[in-house]
Amino acid sequence: MATHDNHLNGETDTNSNTHLAKKPKLSSPSSFITLSEIQSEFSHHDPAIARINNGSFGCCPASIIEAQQLLQLDYLRQPDHFYFNNLKPGILESRTFIKQLINAHHVDEVSIVDNATTAAAIVLQRVAWAFAEGHFDKGDVAIMLHYAYGAVKKSIEAYVTRAGGCVIEVQLPFPVNSTDEIVHEFRKALERGKENGRRRVRLAVIDHITSMPSVVIPIKELVGICREEGVDQVFVDAAHGIGCTDVDMQDIGADFYTSNLHKWFFCPPSVAFLYSRRSPSCLDLHHPVVSHEYGNGLAVESAWIGTRDYSSQLVVPKVLEFVKRFEGGIDGIKKRNHDNVVEMGQMLAKAWGTNLGCPPEMCASMIMVGLPASLGISSDLDTLKLRTHLRGNFGVEVPIYYRAPKDEEVGVTTGYARISYQVYNKVEDYTKFRDAINQLVCDGFTCALLSK
Amino acid sequence: MDKEEDPRNGDDHVTATKKPKLIRFITDSELRSEFSHHEAGVARINNGSFGCCPGSVLAAQRSWQLRFLQQPDHFYFSTLRPNLLRSRALIQTLINAHHIDEVSLVDNATTAAAIVLQQIGRRYAHYRNDTVVMFRCAFPAVKKSIQAYVTRAGASVVEVDLPFPVSSNSEIIAEFRKGLSRAKSDSRKVRLAIIDHITSMPSVVIPVRELVHICREEGVEQVFVDAAHAIGSVPIDVQQIGADFYVSNLYKWFFAPPSVAFLYCRKSNPSSCETHHPVVSHEYGNGLPVESSWIGTRDYTPHLVVPAILEFVNRFEGGSEGIMRRNHEEVARMGKMLAEAWGTSLGSPPEMCASMMMVGLPSKLHVSSDDDATRLRSHLRDKYGVEVPIYHRAPKNGESESEPRDEHGLITGYARISHQVYNRIEDYYKFRDAINRIILEETNLME
Repeated sequence: MATHDNHLNGETDTNSNTHLAKKPKLSSPSSFITLSEIQSEFSHHDPAIARINNGSFGCCPASIIEAQQLLQLDYLRQPDHFYFNNLKPGILESRTFIKQLINAHHVDEVSIVDNATTAAAIVLQRVAWAFAEGHFDKGDVAIMLHYAYGAVKKSIEAYVTRAGGCVIEVQLPFPVNSTDEIVHEFRKALERGKENGRRRVRLAVIDHITSMPSVVIPIKELVGICREEGVDQVFVDAAHGIGCTDVDMQDIGADFYTSNLHKWFFCPPSVAFLYSRRSPSCLDLHHPVVSHEYGNGLAVESAWIGTRDYSSQLVVPKVLEFVKRFEGGIDGIKKRNHDNVVEMGQMLAKAWGTNLGCPPEMCASMIMVGLPASLGISSDLDTLKLRTHLRGNFGVEVPIYYRAPKDEEVGVTTGYARISYQVYNKVEDYTKFRDAINQLVCDGFTCALLSK
Repeated sequence: MDKEEDPRNGDDHVTATKKPKLIRFITDSELRSEFSHHEAGVARINNGSFGCCPGSVLAAQRSWQLRFLQQPDHFYFSTLRPNLLRSRALIQTLINAHHIDEVSLVDNATTAAAIVLQQIGRRYAHYRNDTVVMFRCAFPAVKKSIQAYVTRAGASVVEVDLPFPVSSNSEIIAEFRKGLSRAKSDSRKVRLAIIDHITSMPSVVIPVRELVHICREEGVEQVFVDAAHAIGSVPIDVQQIGADFYVSNLYKWFFAPPSVAFLYCRKSNPSSCETHHPVVSHEYGNGLPVESSWIGTRDYTPHLVVPAILEFVNRFEGGSEGIMRRNHEEVARMGKMLAEAWGTSLGSPPEMCASMMMVGLPSKLHVSSDDDATRLRSHLRDKYGVEVPIYHRAPKNGESESEPRDEHGLITGYARISHQVYNRIEDYYKFRDAINRIILEETNLME
């Protein structure tokens, strides 16, 4: 059972008020962050935009930006001193906080890198070496989801296919109705991969929450299946994981797990962690940018990849302070984000007469909402054009997904919006989107009308 | 020093940046204000390690950062790429590259080394028994990168000694020829030569144009110039230098915030299309410049401030050339002052340095290991407020006459002093006096 369900336990918030932060209880010793404080923390966001795409680039509150700037200044004042005395302990502190957050057993298992894209390169480069050095046979398999993130797919091409590996994609249904559908497809792909034992499946790359279309994958179950079926290693790409869904390394059981902290965990761009379960075969993970720390373990290598600004990595402890200002801390935030995005998704689908891409329990703080068929979304290019049009003409920022009709499908929804909900969002953001689409429909707009 | 006579680069280098008509140049007090964030009370004579960034460039950077945070999607779709292109175009002109496709922006020289070496390593999967040549004093990260990508793939490394102290380019050239011949012995093929434009420790300006030429004569397949210190320090003309790959950090001597570097990849080099950024994004296969312009979500603002840097630099008399010339003159002057005060000598003649200089430390300090050097550096920082890297030079020939010495013994320690626009003579006096104090009061502590 996927652990991401945990945040749904407990009472649902039926408060339909546009203001979502709870007012502080007079009797409690400390008060939680107020709505006006939240607004202030995000006052640098462009006020003209309904920013319902936290999933792409995340957000960073003003107090964290300020903390980051202090760190930057510290460095600029006396960089040698910073390098020799402050940097390493600071990174270790961040890693220690993350280790606790994700329930890793050893801090050595936690490395800090720029982003999930970098983490993927680290894990996959090791696969390339294994092929080059003959530990893997040509034709050995890597499995990934069809909806794997574009960068990860390319990374697999660069480091696995080019090295002689064979890549198998798990075709996932979308819209999807239950985790069983996903598990079923995964098993099928694994069978294909193993080819009756003729070859080994060396690596499974599985998203915790797919990007486009966005769905929460039953990751724990899939990892279990991988173990049963003799897959060497499992790499979970949880770019959206931390701050969005439950992230527990013991519970999930993967060999490698990466998540961006700048998406849903209020860090400035950019910082991510790569968890690598302690085992003999994980000794040869290396950061591709080699410094004098080469060979001292991935965490130490990643803590120095040449002169650059490490402040986003050093500010992690401050983010924990920020998150504690919310009722329930990060778990409270996750739960409220989830409840709100579901509510907004349902509101939009109802207003447009469309459907959601998955049931609420298969999403976290993002949800796919079908767009009216009259918009005529019929290609990936259409989605980009529509997105640009919504940004430029309606002040709405939201990514659009094209879902091609399969053979013999008629009248299916071909366009979905991926809406996000984060603490700075308000109901008005979604009603603005609702009205924009209604306007377009009313005007007889189709994507074909947009020039390239 | 007139740029036409500058022996460090050879022929005419076209000044490519247009200088706006100025009413006046930057004043002393404006300059102090630009670097007012530097810690007061520290004699910061180590610009070479981490560089510096003036307040106005930092302000430009913060402005870009804010724009991203305000509306990141818009930034990504409409702002980032055109402005990266703008930075690249300015650099292309600065270094006299022929095509903008030859110019990529990366974080630092360490990243560039990984890019170049990863590409070499891929080719080596098929060729064993081939060699890579580099200087023994190559930057430690580059040495490790060679280990990670080249040695691991089966090739062997031949190290060239850098004579130090050194008195002329011909010494370096001779040593390099020897190294090359060793690398070619037993019919081996030299796949790559890595040549520093300005070595890090000990720091010397290498006759890079001559060495690249020799590499071509001797059939070296690819030449990679690690010019981490070059831009803002010496004039750069990639046509003159003639290497296949050339990298320089902009945050060291060219006033960029941490961190940004350019990697030049000559178009005519057949492996240039096989050169990739190791962090693979959806841009994979679209050419290194485009790959490097998007390696996942991160803060690209240091790559966007090149126009602001040029504005800053052009506030100085003579622009970048003027700054380089004055830095060179001052560091030579300061080096000489220190050597005279201590009774020691310089590591190289002034014409073999740019804005850094190696100054012999008194033998009485007994710097007899790398650890001693590190300890002395920390001591100078913590007790005397002087920031300067120290180099340990082990004697090669025992007590022979060719060894550098002062009145009391062998010179085994050198300080690498830097001069950048924010430095003042007091910084070097402070250093001079600190060393004199240590000798007077603390010499027994160094043993």
